[in-house]
Amino acid sequence: MAIRSFLILFILFFFSSLNPILSLYEDQVGLVDWHQQYLGKVKQAVFHTHKTGRKRVVVSTEENVVASLDLRQGEIFWRHVLGSNDVIDGIDIALGKYVITLSSGGSILRAWNLPDGQMVWESSLRGPKHSKSLFLVRTNLKIEKDNIVIIFSNGRLNAVSCMDGEVLWEKDFEGESLKVQQVIQPPGSNLIYVVGFASSSLFEMYQINALNGELLKHESAAFSGGFLGEVSPVFSETVVALDSTGLILLTISFQNGKISFHQMPISNLVKDSFGPAKIIPSSVTGIFAIKMNAVTIVIRVKDESKLEVVEKTNHETSISDALSISEGQQAFALVQHASHEIHLRVKLAHNWDDNLLKESVKMDQHRGLVHKVYINNYIRTDKSYGFRALIVMEDHSLLLLQQGEIVWSREDGLASIIDVTTSELPVERDGVSVAKVEHNLFEWLKGHMLKLKGTLMLASPQDIAAIQSMRLKNSEKSKMTRDHNGFRKLLIVLTRAGKLFALHTGDGHIVWSHLLQSLQKSKVCQHPIGLNLYKWQVPHHHAMDENPSVLVIGKCGPSSDAPGALSFVDTYTGKELSSLSLVHSVAQVIPLPYTDSTEQCLHLLIDADKHAHLYPKTPEAISIFEREFSNIYWYSVEDDNGIIKGHALRGKCTGEVADEVCFETRELWSIVFPSESEKIIAAVTRKLNEVVHTQAKVIADQEVMYKYISRNLLFVATVALKGSVEIGSVTPEESWLVAYLIDTVTGRILHQVTHHGSQGPVHAVFSENWVVYHYFNLKAHRYEMSVIEIYDQSRADNKDVWKLVLGKHNLTSPISLYSRPDVITKSQSYFFTHSVKAIAVTSTTKGITSKQLLIGTIGDQVLALDKRFLDPRRTVNPTQAEKEEGIIPLIDSLPIIPQSYVTHALRVEGLRGIITVPAKLESTTLVFAHGVDLFFTQLAPSRTYDSLTDDFNYALLLITIVALLAAIFVTWTLSERKELQENWR
Amino acid sequence: MAFSCKNSSKFNGFSSCIKMVMVGTSAIMMQQRTLAMEASLCVKKSKKKGADSVTRPNSQISAAMAAVTPLLLLLLLSSAPSFSSGSRNAYNINGRVKIPQGLGLGTKGYALPGRMSNVKVLLNGGQNITFLRPDGYFSFHNIPAGTHLIEVSAIGYFFSPVRVDVSARNPGKVQAALTENRKGLSELVLEPLREEQYYEIREPFSIMSLLKSPMGLMVGFMLAVAFLMPKLVENMDPEEMRRAQEEMRSQGVPSLSSLLPGGARN
Repeated sequence: MAIRSFLILFILFFFSSLNPILSLYEDQVGLVDWHQQYLGKVKQAVFHTHKTGRKRVVVSTEENVVASLDLRQGEIFWRHVLGSNDVIDGIDIALGKYVITLSSGGSILRAWNLPDGQMVWESSLRGPKHSKSLFLVRTNLKIEKDNIVIIFSNGRLNAVSCMDGEVLWEKDFEGESLKVQQVIQPPGSNLIYVVGFASSSLFEMYQINALNGELLKHESAAFSGGFLGEVSPVFSETVVALDSTGLILLTISFQNGKISFHQMPISNLVKDSFGPAKIIPSSVTGIFAIKMNAVTIVIRVKDESKLEVVEKTNHETSISDALSISEGQQAFALVQHASHEIHLRVKLAHNWDDNLLKESVKMDQHRGLVHKVYINNYIRTDKSYGFRALIVMEDHSLLLLQQGEIVWSREDGLASIIDVTTSELPVERDGVSVAKVEHNLFEWLKGHMLKLKGTLMLASPQDIAAIQSMRLKNSEKSKMTRDHNGFRKLLIVLTRAGKLFALHTGDGHIVWSHLLQSLQKSKVCQHPIGLNLYKWQVPHHHAMDENPSVLVIGKCGPSSDAPGALSFVDTYTGKELSSLSLVHSVAQVIPLPYTDSTEQCLHLLIDADKHAHLYPKTPEAISIFEREFSNIYWYSVEDDNGIIKGHALRGKCTGEVADEVCFETRELWSIVFPSESEKIIAAVTRKLNEVVHTQAKVIADQEVMYKYISRNLLFVATVALKGSVEIGSVTPEESWLVAYLIDTVTGRILHQVTHHGSQGPVHAVFSENWVVYHYFNLKAHRYEMSVIEIYDQSRADNKDVWKLVLGKHNLTSPISLYSRPDVITKSQSYFFTHSVKAIAVTSTTKGITSKQLLIGTIGDQVLALDKRFLDPRRTVNPTQAEKEEGIIPLIDSLPIIPQSYVTHALRVEGLRGIITVPAKLESTTLVFAHGVDLFFTQLAPSRTYDSLTDDFNYALLLITIVALLAAIFVTWTLSERKELQENWR
Repeated sequence: MAFSCKNSSKFNGFSSCIKMVMVGTSAIMMQQRTLAMEASLCVKKSKKKGADSVTRPNSQISAAMAAVTPLLLLLLLSSAPSFSSGSRNAYNINGRVKIPQGLGLGTKGYALPGRMSNVKVLLNGGQNITFLRPDGYFSFHNIPAGTHLIEVSAIGYFFSPVRVDVSARNPGKVQAALTENRKGLSELVLEPLREEQYYEIREPFSIMSLLKSPMGLMVGFMLAVAFLMPKLVENMDPEEMRRAQEEMRSQGVPSLSSLLPGGARN
């Protein structure tokens, strides 16, 4: 009895020694997680290298990031991610210490402190009308030590003080149809020219005093030919434009207020000219470029009106902005692409024939073409000018070139990930050495002594640093082979630039990258868009020698009937195995749960005309597919019309597109939401590969509840039409939110609940038999999270656990979705503090481990929240039995425990998605969060019960064993002595 | 406060519960102090340029002068005209984020990014995002009348979202309330409810933790068996013991010494 109670005590102690919260010690940061910071495709770059001290470049990107980079290494000094509708229109450096950004369609002007990124001031600019044309012009005008910037936005010209953001003067341009094309500030004068077109054939010029905004002159002249596109300023009082046909170049000069036109047909300049041209604006004095089809023509303007072609090339060419290097001298860079190399030339604006610099740099083909180039100069030791060029490539990467070398490069394409999938690494073969054995015994001992010191808290700071680096350097982590626990995988990510990257989960390094040909701009496909990634071939069992591959689906252009494009990429080597340009469009992709003999997964592509196309197009795939013909159902959600439809297959295609793999479809059911009162804002279904361990759930009083587990459940949330706008403009009375659970095979609505006084946005996650969704409660003015659990009532009579164990149950009775399901639902709602950007749920191999919700909060952190907190069976005072079962007493809000942020003290800026992948070890799940930043970690929702953790106290184990051994010997000698004494007696 | 504390103590441990209450009360005290000091006018129609320059604090004002600013603001605002007229239905929301100095610096070993430059202020779940000026002020421009939600995102601090009513009828009146504890704010000064510790604190090495661990218990148990059991046996009646020993011998249960290799000698 005593021993038994002792044992109970022992077990109690054992469990109390385990920490109830899943958390991290500060020295464990970076052991299993990694964090990478990116910027996105650079839109504009400004160098800051004048002063002594750190050389920087300030960039603004398409991900709305403004950042200051170290020019030597490309590291981020500071970075700010602006709101998604706060698009950056222009940046500049003023006063040598402030970064000025213009954003939100030219209505917000901010200044940031250059050294540390602290915002200094913010101004709101407004104008009389909304217009697209925006300009941020730096001036050298000085008014009492202050610089001013001239901003044209929304039909108003503003002069803003750089010191405190005060608007010094403003001038409206309220001409009815005036489209301002350029704002020119001739250097060294106090004048500003605003030029634009009015009513398509009128050229307007305004001359304004930069010091007080006074209108000095206003001239206009008509040109019967009309104008097309943009203008390019060539001199301070001359611009170049194209006529409305795009065949004649116009040189417009407005010297001394007199407007004069000079026409020059392009065919006179270029012999074999074809088609209309487009002006590529540049700020270089006397030089501009036009583009006709793929031909780029650089033209020099001489003496106001004489045009001269200086270069004509078929290669992709980018021209940098002008850089004034000394008094009256302007330099600019030209970058041309030639297969494996890029040619960089820096020239003086007035001297085309000589090159200041000519370099060729070998370039990885998978970076694509050069999209933008920015140059900066420095003075070499021999007092000549040296140039460095910052180039933005087609794959959104950023490179710094200097002296013919790539000094640094940043893979900023990873800031805009579209889709993620994973792939296993190759199995370890005989040839591959297993683990790196420690070099010698001494080092091994030293390492372990250090670790022992660390665990006994005797280590000095240097020792701690040594231990930390030892842990991080662990070569096991980033090995290129599969590991026993399944922690090492490849993350295959598709970026907006159409580039595929493979990242290693161990440390996040790029294993390979591939610019997909099918997603590149070409003659047939002008605006390719990457859509999705699917696992195409997952070899296991009988196709072990094949490499796994992924399927990349894209389409040409944003319209719904744009033709699709497929690519198949080997995930070990990154080679594109094949690519297909489809004749049909891709509206929906359904990965089928069938594979052929080479482990290729069958995919069904539904086009805009509701035809289904099967891939791979092999006879074997077709025969497999035909066997399962009647079991294939899918649904489609049409948000705009408020219709959800269920579909099934009907038969082979007929008509002109008779194809072996084309199938006709039929509509089974449709749910039409009343368009005047409800609008679909979210539709979520279960993950296809989710594993559920058990259907039965034993509750406190030995009773069993059966989860209603169906892959065909769809959660749909609709809001009242008025509530579909943003928070802050509706009252609780006029907004409501309805949540539906719909069976996608029959179209039956299994459950429906209305939340009055609530509105979107709704973020939801569906797993097993429950759905959790996040929405805004207008009455309480707080966010809420609700859970709906759905249980199968038809098996409720199998209450007895013994019946279940002995097999006397009716679980083997056939299940069909057509029989009316007898389900009950339980639901509960809780307050949640933060806005949410994404919700995901942990997933493990066998589904035994309890689940955690991963909530991406508005602060770009990821919070792990136990599913137990969202259990509809929570009550205010749970009974003893319920407490034993683990039911938490009910409170009105969900707890936010800082230690359970999986991103700990980091932010995943611009968070967009959270992906969970099961590891082979049941207790562990891999979490990848992506946005502008990337973050990866391993999570164990119920702690690692199936393996020893890294911080397992080996020292204590060793001490215990030694102590036990010592005790054995002591007792042995004692007992021996005693026996001897007894024998003598 | 007490209610939520009682429940969260289940997970956070008792100590954090106490800390929370303390932080909470100190926050309330600070609130009351600032209430008395600062001006209450924060939302107003920004049609006129003059208003803009009034509400925008001069960037020159240093942090040391932060305490004086409210008074200055009050003076300026009282002299500013009221802006009831205006064609457009857009308002500005101006406010301030205050992070008490004592809160961030107290912890050791955990470097908090005390810089204000990484603090974001979000309106209506990210519809508008703005940043703080060096003195902690922020503003949202062109906001329509209605009930809005302001959230503050700062690593290391927990801020309650704030409900802000911008009414078209009487511009210039702000109604703000913390949504977490439904406490009203008479002006928009946002302070963290508590500090957030993202890492567990490693407990220093101690004998007790060693003994309490499963290994320590095992050793303790073995030692108890090894040393206390013979004592128990000694205290037994010798006759009874002999009988027991004989019984054991007859059953062939080997003694401890015979089990060990040395036991074979006798």
